[in-house]
Amino acid sequence: MATEQPSEELKILILATLSGGYAGADSVGQLHADYATNTYILPVECPALFPKEFYLRTFKKGIDGIIIMYSGTDCPYKGGAERTAEIINETYPLMKERGMDTRRLRLVAICTVCTQPFLKEVTQMNNVLQEIGPVRQELSVSQD
Amino acid sequence: MPDKETSKLEPSQMKTDTEEPRIGVYTCYCGGNIGFVIDCERVADELGKLPNVVVTRTDMSMCSDVGQTMIEEDIREHGVNRVVIGACAPSLHEQTFRGTVSRAGLNPYFYHHVGIREQDSWVHSHDHEGATKKAIRLMSAGIAKARLLEPLEPIKLSAEKHALVIGGGVAGLRSAWDLSRRGLKVTLVEKSPFLGGHMAQLEKTFPSGEEAGGLLGPLIANVVSDPNITVHTYSEVTGVRGYVGDFHIQITQQSRGVDDTLGEAAMQACKTEVQDEFNYGLTNRKLVYKAYPGCYPSTPAVDWDHCPDGYLELEIDGRQIKLENQPKTFDINTGAVVVATGFQPYTPLKGEYGYLEHPEVLTLPQFIRLLTLIPEGKELQLNGHRVHNIGFVHCVGSRQIEGIHEAQEDGQVNNYCSRVCCTATLQAINELRQRYPDLNIVDIYEDIRTYGRGHEEYYAEASANQVLFMRFHGEEPAEVVRATDGDKSPLLIRVKDYLTWGEEIEVPVDMVVLAVGMMPTSIEDLIRLLKVSPGTDRFLLEVHPKLRPVETAVPGVVLAGTAQGPMNIKESIAAASAAASKVAVLLSRGKVELEPFVAHVDHELCTGSGECVEVCAYEDAISLKPVSMDGKEVEKALVTSANCVGCGVCVSACPNLAIDLQGWTLKQYDAMVDALVMDMSAIGVKHE
Amino acid sequence: MVQEKIRVDTLVVGGGIAGMQSALDLADQGYQVALVERDPSIGGKMIQLSKVFPTLDCCSCITTPKMSAVAHHENIQLFTYCEIQAIEENDQGFVSNALQKPRYVDVDTCTGCRQCEYACPIDVPHPFDRYLGAHRAAYVPFSTAVPQKALIDMENCILCGKCQRGCPANSIDFTQKEQPFEIESRAIILATGFEITPPDAKKEYGAGQFHNVVDALVMERLLAPTGPYGHVLRPSDGKEPDSIAYVQCAGSRDKTLGVEYCSRVCCMYAIKQAMLISGALPLADITIYYMDIRTFGKGYDQFYQTAQAMGIEFVKGKVARINEDENQNPVVRVEMIDEGSKVVERMHDMVVLSVGMLPCYDPQPIFGVRSAEDGFVLTPSINMAPCVTEHPGIFVSGTAAGPMDIVDSIVLAGAASAEAAAYLEANDGNRRSVKSTTNAARVTAHA
Ligand SMILES: Cc1cc2nc3c(=O)[nH]c(=O)nc-3n(C[C@H](O)[C@H](O)[C@H](O)COP(=O)(O)OP(=O)(O)OC[C@H]3O[C@@H](n4cnc5c(N)ncnc54)[C@H](O)[C@@H]3O)c2cc1C
Ligand SMILES: Cc1cc2nc3c(=O)[nH]c(=O)nc-3n(C[C@H](O)[C@H](O)[C@H](O)COP(=O)(O)OP(=O)(O)OC[C@H]3O[C@@H](n4cnc5c(N)ncnc54)[C@H](O)[C@@H]3O)c2cc1C
Ligand code: SF4
Ligand code: SF4
Repeated sequence: MATEQPSEELKILILATLSGGYAGADSVGQLHADYATNTYILPVECPALFPKEFYLRTFKKGIDGIIIMYSGTDCPYKGGAERTAEIINETYPLMKERGMDTRRLRLVAICTVCTQPFLKEVTQMNNVLQEIGPVRQELSVSQD
Repeated sequence: MPDKETSKLEPSQMKTDTEEPRIGVYTCYCGGNIGFVIDCERVADELGKLPNVVVTRTDMSMCSDVGQTMIEEDIREHGVNRVVIGACAPSLHEQTFRGTVSRAGLNPYFYHHVGIREQDSWVHSHDHEGATKKAIRLMSAGIAKARLLEPLEPIKLSAEKHALVIGGGVAGLRSAWDLSRRGLKVTLVEKSPFLGGHMAQLEKTFPSGEEAGGLLGPLIANVVSDPNITVHTYSEVTGVRGYVGDFHIQITQQSRGVDDTLGEAAMQACKTEVQDEFNYGLTNRKLVYKAYPGCYPSTPAVDWDHCPDGYLELEIDGRQIKLENQPKTFDINTGAVVVATGFQPYTPLKGEYGYLEHPEVLTLPQFIRLLTLIPEGKELQLNGHRVHNIGFVHCVGSRQIEGIHEAQEDGQVNNYCSRVCCTATLQAINELRQRYPDLNIVDIYEDIRTYGRGHEEYYAEASANQVLFMRFHGEEPAEVVRATDGDKSPLLIRVKDYLTWGEEIEVPVDMVVLAVGMMPTSIEDLIRLLKVSPGTDRFLLEVHPKLRPVETAVPGVVLAGTAQGPMNIKESIAAASAAASKVAVLLSRGKVELEPFVAHVDHELCTGSGECVEVCAYEDAISLKPVSMDGKEVEKALVTSANCVGCGVCVSACPNLAIDLQGWTLKQYDAMVDALVMDMSAIGVKHE
Repeated sequence: MVQEKIRVDTLVVGGGIAGMQSALDLADQGYQVALVERDPSIGGKMIQLSKVFPTLDCCSCITTPKMSAVAHHENIQLFTYCEIQAIEENDQGFVSNALQKPRYVDVDTCTGCRQCEYACPIDVPHPFDRYLGAHRAAYVPFSTAVPQKALIDMENCILCGKCQRGCPANSIDFTQKEQPFEIESRAIILATGFEITPPDAKKEYGAGQFHNVVDALVMERLLAPTGPYGHVLRPSDGKEPDSIAYVQCAGSRDKTLGVEYCSRVCCMYAIKQAMLISGALPLADITIYYMDIRTFGKGYDQFYQTAQAMGIEFVKGKVARINEDENQNPVVRVEMIDEGSKVVERMHDMVVLSVGMLPCYDPQPIFGVRSAEDGFVLTPSINMAPCVTEHPGIFVSGTAAGPMDIVDSIVLAGAASAEAAAYLEANDGNRRSVKSTTNAARVTAHA
């Protein structure tokens, strides 16, 4: 089901692995299932590429939620999934320090045919964002 | 109206500085797939306002010759040096457009593809405005990346003109033979001690009625007498390293236990018997055995699986001889791998249609073997009882419905059609009718799928020869139960027959044959080693059923035969030959090209601290080596491109930001994020 | 300009998906290929389709890149609007006499800008749109045609000269003549495809006279985004149909027509079209009358199950006759097999005939290759050599070898090129790159 479109666009960045989430998003497309338009999917080979700082500065730029749709145990790269999980776990405390709700960053395994989980994740992130609002609010509060 | 240009195209207004990115932006209508939802003209207009964009166009179908020619012309004549295309999923056409760009003389990596069909128009079809805005954002991110694109060169590797075929059934044999005929060297690995796979267990084959042995024999002879093909029986792949063009494969081979001189005597001497899998347990065989008369190799083999301690002691000519399994391991170097590991007939669960509960219930493969065991002219008997009434049930273990049929161990049902069982059943029925004109034959089906050339004839023949057909609905499977004492036939088939008003009918039978479907051979280890993936039906998955039907997502690994899905012999052969074609395309030139998306170290920034080497999971992909800088010898990280898989783990690990993944740099991601959050109105883009 | 004689390794006859794939598979291995297509564009039937089962990808998106790859391949010489008239054999292989039909347009200078088309006053019913739409007498075959070059339909041309005046490239040339030329090749692949059951074949179904009884290829065009109406409308009055019926095996599995075989694709394409129609017209009722549903391919039964879940009605029944009422609504007389073969009459707004596949070309007179009883090219060893004809060096690919869908056509095309490559290697000692060193069999089985 389509989620209610928030009035002010709360932007969700989806970093999706080509072998997992990105292909999964294509499968969702083939089903012509509807979801919210505030979702921007960028393809990645493996999210272990991104250091913690990347996420922090992306939030700072005004992305309100990030879902990393990686391939989990199906990751074609040895050690890629574990390394990604490590980096994300190390990012959470840094987000807290900066006054950010850690629910803004989510790591989930999405496979090429995971259409329902994909839709669920998008809906959930939108629900969370509805509740906690734009990231700029948190960041400005914490800077005070 | 498609096919438009913005005013930017006026040559007089074009910037001439060739170092500057001059971006061409192309938005595809994709017939109406994109254009009916996204306002492509508006997307094109708005993106035209972004810096560096010198051309922005739309087309009904960018991938068509017209579309591609248009892009080529822009590159040649309008100085476009970066191309951004918004169209269907990159998995479909990234390669197409890379070809377009390079034909026009531009580095093929000066191109970025944005998927606005699967990830935009198809999922936002009720929100045209939202979808259009999203397309603008996504493509402006693509443009941001395009500004930072670097020219890349594919990694060229020399390729072994050699292929490995895994599986010695008809598909594997055929692939091997075709590859050799094409001029490649081949190694074929068969897990069992004998070649031939399931085809060796068939008698007559549809649709020609030819004997399976008569067809298979010459193929095996061709393969084993071919000097370019090396066959390893009783062998398995136990290790895989390397990549397309240069795989290093470890093979482990079981001992046969006996040689030609000892073989026959050992067979005689062996007293222990086990169920003969060749006859699906209808008969027994020795532990030292030949799979079937005329099998290849003709040397018997010892069945180690049934020798508890890995050895077998026999008394031959009064001498005590100990036969031992001493598995041997060796490596081969190959350019490509053909997976032809075949199928297994579905084994019904205990109690499914009375299977294993009533001895009168057989599977179709068993029944085909049974027919060969009964000499011509002898009556049809099972366990000493003459068979007067026989019933066949279709779709056993195929076309299952969740909630109705009991799931397999993995919790799944087989919801696919196995494709061969209908015709195979009717072939068996016709054979039976010919041999036993008085037999009462009932055939219980859901749909009769005699689809192939020469298949319908089997259905027609059965219909014309007093075979009673009954039709059930998938949600109401038939049941097989024991008849009450005193009935003449031991079993009853209970079926709701839709050819007679959906009435529940009880058919007394002496024997039931279950037309079981196909399951893939379980090859978990191989799947893990080769990194190929099975589909939801557990058969190996092709990249795209129409664009690349025999290739897997792993470069250099292709599929042949029933490992990919149910097929008959003709289809297995066609797939095997097609797989050989693909391998020939890959290897016949003796070199392969790989995508250049590998790690790159900036030695100015690298301090040689080695975090990258620590996190990298790939042998010899990145290592610290001494290099001379400013006249001094210093340790720096060095990447071996052919071993680097491009995962980027080292990128995030480097404390000095000295590593980047070519084609996917962090700077490019940052720029894309900037574009996603950019206030578009500031640059004149009407966005809100 | 056509050269008088060209020399290649393999000649491929027919530029549908099978011919294109065979050509590409050979060319990618470095063999020289000539592809001869009798129509003015390559693409075959596939380029006419809307979306394709079972993935429902846009058909044009799958086909056009292959067409483009063929046109641009350095090892492929493409001849469209061209036919083979005779072949001879010598010790080098085959010499085919080809005839380039005149397009009356200079293809070297034509840019495909369609100015001639806009200028031409004559409308001709367009076979590409199954005659629902029209093309001009001067026209580019269709929007994604390869090559994108105009031609003039001389049969309907009135020689008014408007196209000539309209053409900015001065490409129109009414004096063009047919040009014979020779193609020398060492092997030949026949990929001449199929035809659908002609509309007037079934008298019981109106013999093509009822407006609202159409064949499935018409429905493909109605569903295609580039189709004649851009929408599913019933032909008689342009009304959106509320109730659409499919009649399966219309022209297949039918002794009275002499077509006893199953055409393999019609169950799947009917289900596909039904799904696409329910997308375009969510309120329409769709019924499929069938004898057996034959969704046997990979992922196909799952596709059928999805269609059932979508509410498409599947009725096991034999359609004996179709009549038309006074409002041109087709009335289907059907024996409902699941209801004890009760005969009922049901009215629909539109009926689609799931027509079968027939052979479209008999290669016997020119290529000396016989057909089997079903009319498709004979492959004597049907199981073990599905692409090998009776004639050494001549192979068959795609639906010329019997009904099959796109996946099977592409796979068979790959197999045909493997056979052709093996034949080329065996018949040319110096090309063979791996030489036999010893004749000893190398089979390991260690004791
Ligand atoms: C009951 C029945 C009747 C049939 N009748 C007909 C008919 O009349 N006509 C017809 O056209 N088709 C018929 N078929 C279909 C036909 O049997 C198959 O199409 C054909 O056998 C498939 O060949 P294959 O090589 O793909 O697989 P297989 O025959 O299964 O061969 C696979 C081979 O790979 C080996 N292998 C498996 N795993 C490994 C591993 N890890 N490493 C190394 N080797 C491995 C196996 O030991 C085997 O030798 C019938 C099928 C059934 C079930
Ligand atoms: C209504 C309908 C819907 C379908 N939908 C689907 C679908 O969704 N999915 C799917 O997989 N399949 C579908 N199919 C099947 C699909 O169309 C065929 O499998 C495929 O087009 C066969 O390709 P081909 O190359 O063998 O034949 P063709 O497409 O017929 O190509 C043959 C080519 O050869 C040319 N030719 C013929 N004779 C000569 C000659 N003498 N000289 C030179 N050239 C010659 C013809 O002009 C033609 O271009 C459908 C079929 C129909 C009828
Ligand atoms: S081929 Fe026939 S018996 Fe086999 S699964 Fe398909 S429909 Fe059932
Ligand atoms: S595929 Fe279906 S409709 Fe077509 S002939 Fe076969 S059974 Fe009939």
